Amino acid sequence: MSAQEALYFEDIPLGEEYTAPGRTVTEADIVLFAGLSGDYNVLHTDAEHMKSSQFGERIAHGLLGLSIQQGLLGRVMPAWMNPLLAGLKWKFRGPIRIGDTIRVQARITGKKDASKLQWGIVSVERKVLNQRGEVVQEGETEHMVERRPA
Amino acid sequence: MAPVLPGQRQWYFEDVEMGVPLETPGITVTEAHITLFAGVTGQGRDRDPDAVPDLLPLCLSSGLGWRVPQPPLVVLAFMGLEWQYLKPLRVGDTIRSRSRIVAKRPMKEGGVVIEERSIVNQDGESVQSGRLTLLVARRPVP
Repeated sequence: MSAQEALYFEDIPLGEEYTAPGRTVTEADIVLFAGLSGDYNVLHTDAEHMKSSQFGERIAHGLLGLSIQQGLLGRVMPAWMNPLLAGLKWKFRGPIRIGDTIRVQARITGKKDASKLQWGIVSVERKVLNQRGEVVQEGETEHMVERRPA
Repeated sequence: MAPVLPGQRQWYFEDVEMGVPLETPGITVTEAHITLFAGVTGQGRDRDPDAVPDLLPLCLSSGLGWRVPQPPLVVLAFMGLEWQYLKPLRVGDTIRSRSRIVAKRPMKEGGVVIEERSIVNQDGESVQSGRLTLLVARRPVP
């Protein structure tokens, strides 16, 4: 299924699974994200300080992992998943270290009516895994998707 | 781990006061933010060039939290998030973050703090809001 294809709520298959390609999270990603967000917490920016921490080195911002997985899934899922619009429930299970390669598995787990008649809400369950297969982040997103015009 | 940083006052779990409202300064969301965000996250640009990606305001609010007079919380880990999208944002909108701590629970290492956060636009309308669960360090014993 092409990411550009226009899809209506009715066309979205419940249970469909997607696997996004991997991406290695680099020091540059973390530095850029600190600059963009303004979050300079030592966890992400001070290599010397982090030597004495349980992680041993700087780790990625949780929100960087969340944002990267959205970008990765955008490469394999149709365009309706890009705006989240409705909601997000997310757990940060473990650190993403510099040099870790993350990938994303997603599944369509729900379809329900929205308060506006011409829209429906689609739920997507997502897991972010590192190169050892450990789940580092997981959660569910909800998306407003247009219904097929009558 | 109980990080001690030289030359900076910090807020530990013991210092967290429940229910005290905190409001950050604002930041105007620009074309440059969207371009940088698209680059670092790999998210394709929206067909509407002035649309702000849904996750960007939350990311910007994490930086706004450092620009308040209160010393920063010693956050050991970001544990979870429940978030709702109420209104889309456009390039040129100015956002600020309003928050307060609604729950705290001591743990073996540090303590869990739940923060209620709302991102408001220049008209004072809430555009995104939700709850963040954070693991915060305890004050180190001297």
